[in-house]
Amino acid sequence: MNETKTIKLENIHEEFPDSERKFRVLADFTPEFFADIERRTNILSCIQCGTCTASCESGRWTALKTRLIIRRLIFGDLTVLEDPDIWLCTTCYNCYERCPRDVRPTDVIIELRNYASKLGNMHPVHRKVVDFLKVTGHAVPINAQIRQQRKELGLDELPPTLYRYKDEPDSEMDKYAKELFNLADANEKVQEKLQDKNKIRGCN
Amino acid sequence: MGKDHEFAFYLGCIMPNRYPQIEKATRFVLEKLGYKLLDMEKAACCPAPGVLRSFDKVDWMVAAARNICIAEKLDRDILTVCNGCFGTLQEVNKHLKENEEAREQVNEHLKKLGDYEYKGTIEVKHIGEFLGADIGPTEIQKYLVRKVKGRVTVHYGCHFLKPTRTRQVDSSENPVILDDFAEAIGLVSVDFRQKLTCCGAGGGIKAAYAETSMKILGEKMKNMTAVQPDFILDVCPFCHLQFETGQDWLNKNKGTNYDLPVIHISQITAFCMGMDEQFVGLKYQMMGKDFKFTPVEVESHD
Repeated sequence: MNETKTIKLENIHEEFPDSERKFRVLADFTPEFFADIERRTNILSCIQCGTCTASCESGRWTALKTRLIIRRLIFGDLTVLEDPDIWLCTTCYNCYERCPRDVRPTDVIIELRNYASKLGNMHPVHRKVVDFLKVTGHAVPINAQIRQQRKELGLDELPPTLYRYKDEPDSEMDKYAKELFNLADANEKVQEKLQDKNKIRGCN
Repeated sequence: MGKDHEFAFYLGCIMPNRYPQIEKATRFVLEKLGYKLLDMEKAACCPAPGVLRSFDKVDWMVAAARNICIAEKLDRDILTVCNGCFGTLQEVNKHLKENEEAREQVNEHLKKLGDYEYKGTIEVKHIGEFLGADIGPTEIQKYLVRKVKGRVTVHYGCHFLKPTRTRQVDSSENPVILDDFAEAIGLVSVDFRQKLTCCGAGGGIKAAYAETSMKILGEKMKNMTAVQPDFILDVCPFCHLQFETGQDWLNKNKGTNYDLPVIHISQITAFCMGMDEQFVGLKYQMMGKDFKFTPVEVESHD
């Protein structure tokens, strides 16, 4: 028997148990963490000039201070991984373009988010995107209204993406869902912090 | 028709699933230019460079490489109409071409997803770069059956240009590629304050931190409307979505009264190349539903 088992949105977290996690708490981090980030960016070249903060599209409206994030990281302050501010970057790359030391601050923030995610420090809305991806292959799935609209426009009702083939016997949807983005369980305490962001200090 | 007149058409998520009119227009434009678009069957999300790259960069690269492999099998360069998809696919493609260690790591993961192996044989192209540079403002004249009169505020979006060392499309501080193209099809590209700022959607901000996202957009809308454009011209369905739903949000929550139509470069180009206005699909959009293009006749050319 080799039936295609379609993954449902309701039971998605049971399908992907939280196992084999290398990082559970901040204490699990070794100096390798900093070396790993330095390999792909240039945090140790930072001279704290503040060009990143001055160029920041999000920092203009929020408490995000890119310079400070990088300073804390260089000094080994791992609480940056619990700081909601790292999730306020729009990845506009202004800082990346203008940094005189080629620190690549946008990439640093992405690296920090990767490690934060390993600890379960994720916003539930963001996590939901992964659920969509695993069920449909799309971060933004199609709906009835758009299917109708596609027909009116003379396009195929369903685009030829993974989703159209999901029920076929050789569908790759399952492999896709099982092999990619298997995230840690949410860290409830930090989640609360992330969600409070708007109310408390997200906008100043 | 050779390989150089064919593309693997990468759809992504927001275009086919929210703005199919952009897909329709893109297909029309490429056909009129004598290009064939091949379907990338079983392609999935690029994946999004904001949320999904933030979760796991390796999985993000693997999923992107899977999409690139589909085009490699077709032996055609990828054409995308979205800055986000361009950001992901172009960056991963370049990174994997240059970095053997990453290529091996990704290929190891790819096996688990099916019959895939990244080889690094194709390029990734954005429609803005294709129309604005490869075809160009001069060559496009041959294909125009009409032009459009109007003042537009051009929105480049971030990932179309940045990081410049990877993209190599145009300057990030003073780009002209889209303005030149807009002028070539009859429009006037109006300068406005802080023209190159972000729409506020990227990095997962739109989904999780609406208030912040809308502050960034609100400033942008204020600066755009100050110069009274007829519509916003963009090159990215995600910026498109932000401008559309964002105007609505600002109207409902901040007491504004915005109703600026948002037009993707494919839509306006298709119209100028003769596509019927109903397929441009403004009636499906949230903003400027009653807006009509003001066509201008062009002199015939042989």
